[in-house]
Amino acid sequence: MKATESELLDLIAKEAIIDREKLTRDATLEDLGISSLDVISMLFELEEKYGVVIEEGDMPQMSTLGEMVDFLLGRINAEPAA
Amino acid sequence: MARRIAITGLGAVSSLGLTAAANWDAAREGRSGIVAHRFDGGQHAPEPVTLPAALTADGYLGALEARYGRKVSGTVDRFAALGLAAAYEALENAGLIDHPALSQRTAIVLGHGQGGQETLEKSYERFFGLKSQRMHPATVPKIMVSGGVSAVAMQFGVHGPTFATSSACASSAHAIVQGAGLIQTGLADVAIVGGSEAIATPGCMSGWQAIQALAAETCRPFSKDRDGMVMGDGGAVLILEDLDHARARGAAILGEFLGAGMTSDAFHITQPSLEGTSGAMRQAVANGGLAEAEEVLISAHGTGTPLNDKNEAASIRAVFGDRAKAHPVIATKSAHGHLIGGSAALQAVIALQALKAGLAPPVLNYNEADPECDVEVVVGQVRPIKARHALVNAFAFGGLNVSMAFAA
Repeated sequence: MKATESELLDLIAKEAIIDREKLTRDATLEDLGISSLDVISMLFELEEKYGVVIEEGDMPQMSTLGEMVDFLLGRINAEPAA
Repeated sequence: MARRIAITGLGAVSSLGLTAAANWDAAREGRSGIVAHRFDGGQHAPEPVTLPAALTADGYLGALEARYGRKVSGTVDRFAALGLAAAYEALENAGLIDHPALSQRTAIVLGHGQGGQETLEKSYERFFGLKSQRMHPATVPKIMVSGGVSAVAMQFGVHGPTFATSSACASSAHAIVQGAGLIQTGLADVAIVGGSEAIATPGCMSGWQAIQALAAETCRPFSKDRDGMVMGDGGAVLILEDLDHARARGAAILGEFLGAGMTSDAFHITQPSLEGTSGAMRQAVANGGLAEAEEVLISAHGTGTPLNDKNEAASIRAVFGDRAKAHPVIATKSAHGHLIGGSAALQAVIALQALKAGLAPPVLNYNEADPECDVEVVVGQVRPIKARHALVNAFAFGGLNVSMAFAA
């Protein structure tokens, strides 16, 4: 199952519990208050929804939401769905 | 002299609505939150089943989120979030949000039968079903039965005595009594008490089916054709406060906690005992000073199971003798289902509003009088009452009984 940026932002809004309209590409994770626990919750949801296992340790250092979305979309859409 | 315990705030979320007032309105108007739900445990579970249940609608954290911005549900299970929602409403109602009294001299005691059942089942599915080694790091704190009180403490900055009580269907009744005790012994001036539950999960419902306690269609307390309880979920919270403390800060007094009785049957894990349940009621009547009351509103445990209702009716007759029929008996589980650990608190929230309004809400789904339940069941429609006092019963599996006396 392929993911879109919009789907991913919906999921981030739900898991990190942030208003969807605040999720712009240049917003920083720090400013949005996205914690490592939020990221882990998101990765669990991604695994359930798209069948893609992404460990927290796989994620490179990144500061903006855009970078995170690009990384996650790359991983989800690169691998065949389980 | 013992400190008197005022009630200065009420909060509730259930299938009947997302505020204490909405729950009262529904109960008064005879509206039910019970509908058929499909319980689907997913790919590793047996075929889904459809059962009646009374579940809280989405959006129950809306008021809290509107005030505090970022949502709080990420690291708490549904049971804790339901308790948090009810606690917020009760604190807001009491005018205690951000009040200095909240920080050091306030206690939190909430009752839950089971804790984070939804999280438990999801984690088991990952482990046993998907054979995944990776567990969400919040799994343990979400499952623990004290997750609810910790969430309330963190959300509102409460540093006083804080713990959960667990006694199945009597959990929130024990919580209320413990909270009152903390005030009476001087350990706190305010106590956030009540309970919540969220165990209407596919795995847990299958356990309830096995125990043959669930109604096929709906909950019919004290009706001859009753055949079981209906699972509910939700939360309810009362703010107990030393009466002088409440008066000194000009708080509105919504009622008074007068006393309680607590017993253990030491008899059977699911069957009730007349001695145990009537014993708790007798103590509550004595401790609450209700022996001379002309009319007492009795909010029955009233699960709709054949055994409970028969035993409870016999208890009411045993306690009040030839005056038993002077006391109107209500059973609001016929509307909001059985919230297990949260039930007694929700019944108290509704009973206090019933006393205030001078109205007894009707027992729903009642078809036929049962000679074995010969008490003054309020059926049909809402009934005007003169009662200024209420007894709220909670009789749990394992024979753990609480009866509480309130005034409004």
